[in-house]
Amino acid sequence: MESSPFKARRSFANAAIRAVRLISPLLLLLVLVLPAGSKTTRTAVATPAPNFKLPTQSGTVSLEELRGKVVLVDFWASWCGPCRRSFPWMSDVAEHNAANGFVVVAINLDKSRESADAFLRELSPSFIVAFDPAGKTAEAYNVATMPSSYLVGRDGRVVYSHAGFDARDTETLEKKIKETIAQ
Amino acid sequence: MQLEGGTGSSLRERLNKAALALLLVPAAAAAADLPATQIDTTTLYYGEQDRVQVVEPVVRATRLFGDGQILSVQLAVDLITGASPSGALPTGVPQTITSPSGKVSSTPAGAIPTTKFQDHRGGLDADWQTPIGKYFNSTLGMHASREKDYQSLGVTAKVSAEMFQRSLTVTAGGGYNWDSVFPVGGTPIGLSDGTEVTNGKNSKKVESFLFGVSRVMSRRWLLGLDASRTLERGYLTEPYKVISLVSFRSDSPIGQLTDNRPASRARSSLLASSVYHLDQDILYSSYRYYKDSWGIRSNTVDASYRHDLDDGWYLEPHARYYHQTAADFFTFGIVAGLAPPEYATSDYRLGQLTTMTLGLTFAFHVEDSPALWTVRADYIRQAGSGTAPENLGSASTFDLNPAINTISLVVGYSFNM
Amino acid sequence: MKTSAKWLLRAAAVLALPGMFAGCASVKPWDRDLLADKRMQFNPCPMLHAIDEHIYFSKEASTGGQGVGGGGCGCN
Repeated sequence: MESSPFKARRSFANAAIRAVRLISPLLLLLVLVLPAGSKTTRTAVATPAPNFKLPTQSGTVSLEELRGKVVLVDFWASWCGPCRRSFPWMSDVAEHNAANGFVVVAINLDKSRESADAFLRELSPSFIVAFDPAGKTAEAYNVATMPSSYLVGRDGRVVYSHAGFDARDTETLEKKIKETIAQ
Repeated sequence: MQLEGGTGSSLRERLNKAALALLLVPAAAAAADLPATQIDTTTLYYGEQDRVQVVEPVVRATRLFGDGQILSVQLAVDLITGASPSGALPTGVPQTITSPSGKVSSTPAGAIPTTKFQDHRGGLDADWQTPIGKYFNSTLGMHASREKDYQSLGVTAKVSAEMFQRSLTVTAGGGYNWDSVFPVGGTPIGLSDGTEVTNGKNSKKVESFLFGVSRVMSRRWLLGLDASRTLERGYLTEPYKVISLVSFRSDSPIGQLTDNRPASRARSSLLASSVYHLDQDILYSSYRYYKDSWGIRSNTVDASYRHDLDDGWYLEPHARYYHQTAADFFTFGIVAGLAPPEYATSDYRLGQLTTMTLGLTFAFHVEDSPALWTVRADYIRQAGSGTAPENLGSASTFDLNPAINTISLVVGYSFNM
Repeated sequence: MKTSAKWLLRAAAVLALPGMFAGCASVKPWDRDLLADKRMQFNPCPMLHAIDEHIYFSKEASTGGQGVGGGGCGCN
């Protein structure tokens, strides 16, 4: 049985080698898969935005019918924290730019309408809210993160797509909106 | 300290656990509507029947910053009293033992001899978690604790990466501890009669590595696999424990020798954990396989069922089963006249044993206060299961594996500032 | 544990790993409602868990093994 420093050092060296052997192939795998993980959304810019026709709180909304306007299509759910933070900003930007033909359509992906309604009662948005519980529209837009937003130009093409929401993102988003409206 | 109360280097573990625990908060939850500062307090009342009693208040403050960083600081105080087995064998007559700190303990005939002790420990832990970009997270932690005969300082570092639309999380981390052992009355020479001691501090260094993968298996199921490896070097012996010296010429032990353990220990463990969402309830379960270079193998199965009521109240029953094999050098007694072993211990915690736990947690609010109270009660039953050899004299006729019943009560209080 | 059983366990662990990597992103981001639940973590109550670790480390020979973060709602 070992008691000398020699054996202790050797058992540590063995252990270290084993640890490295265990970790390095996995680290390699990590390096290989990482680029795949860093993609945000897959709906490419300049492609036509997929059409949708969804129920709203008071009727229906269709992207085709909004052709000619600049539309911010946003995907959200009541259980998503950043979505909660995005609502006041979206209400703000919708009100400010409504006169210039700018519309926000926030598509809800909650499975339960009750959860979505409770959220809406609390946040009282001043933009169009549509419901897509089956997630078909989210699928069409290749939504990869919650929330995701797509800025659609007057010609129906995707001008800009954004994943997630953070206070730091609002500046970029507002700039893009202003640019698209001006076109 | 792991010696008498057996809670010493557990603070190092707590460092790992606490640091690791912080990293368990997914980036999403951290970024979501969590309050700025959260204060959590817990007080543990732990009582083993006729053995160790512990009271441990802990307070932790966690502060969330706007950019997703989290700083957490924890202060813990441990008050331990009671008696713990000395490692000596029971005899047919009452025994009186004086501990190194001067406490006198009397043991009735036929009972496992125990020594009384008293200790208090203070510990400070701090952790800092930083998100790096959208998919990485890092945590740095430190730990410091001190008691009468033990000191521990440690650091940990961990990185995690979320991949495949956050379906897969990979974590790698490591920790280093510098511990120091300075027994009351000096450090006895191992496997001796204990009269000769060396003075000064004994050092113990611990390195640990962790690698884990967790995967979203379905809309309601999370599965994790973690491998960890720990290497300890230095003074790993229990200076207060003894081993009875028996002789075929006498029915009772003729003396005792001090505990002596190797100067290195390599531990490995593999943990599989599962979290399953059942709409209102959540089922947590885990299985851990452990083995170390001292010959100990263990299996742990753990399950909790959390049933949420309204307003954040919940009930959570819990069960745990644990079984370990004995260390290679574990022995109930050493026979005089034979070639002495290089290492030996009679510490029941390194022997073959089984632990069973049944517990219930109840969390509730009082009136309209958002602060959450948590009360957790556990019944723990532990018993050795090793077979004692027949050459121990009269000691073989006594119960060398008595079952120890323990009640543990934790009262927690959490609020936001 | 017997050597053969030990190797079996190691092989199983190694084989399980690619299984964990493959077929990822199978749960859509908008299906992460349950996973966004704060309770969906390996260690939802770190302090209670730390107390447990402390108790069992003191009374048993084993240490180590710990859950890591994972899941989440796919937000941000």
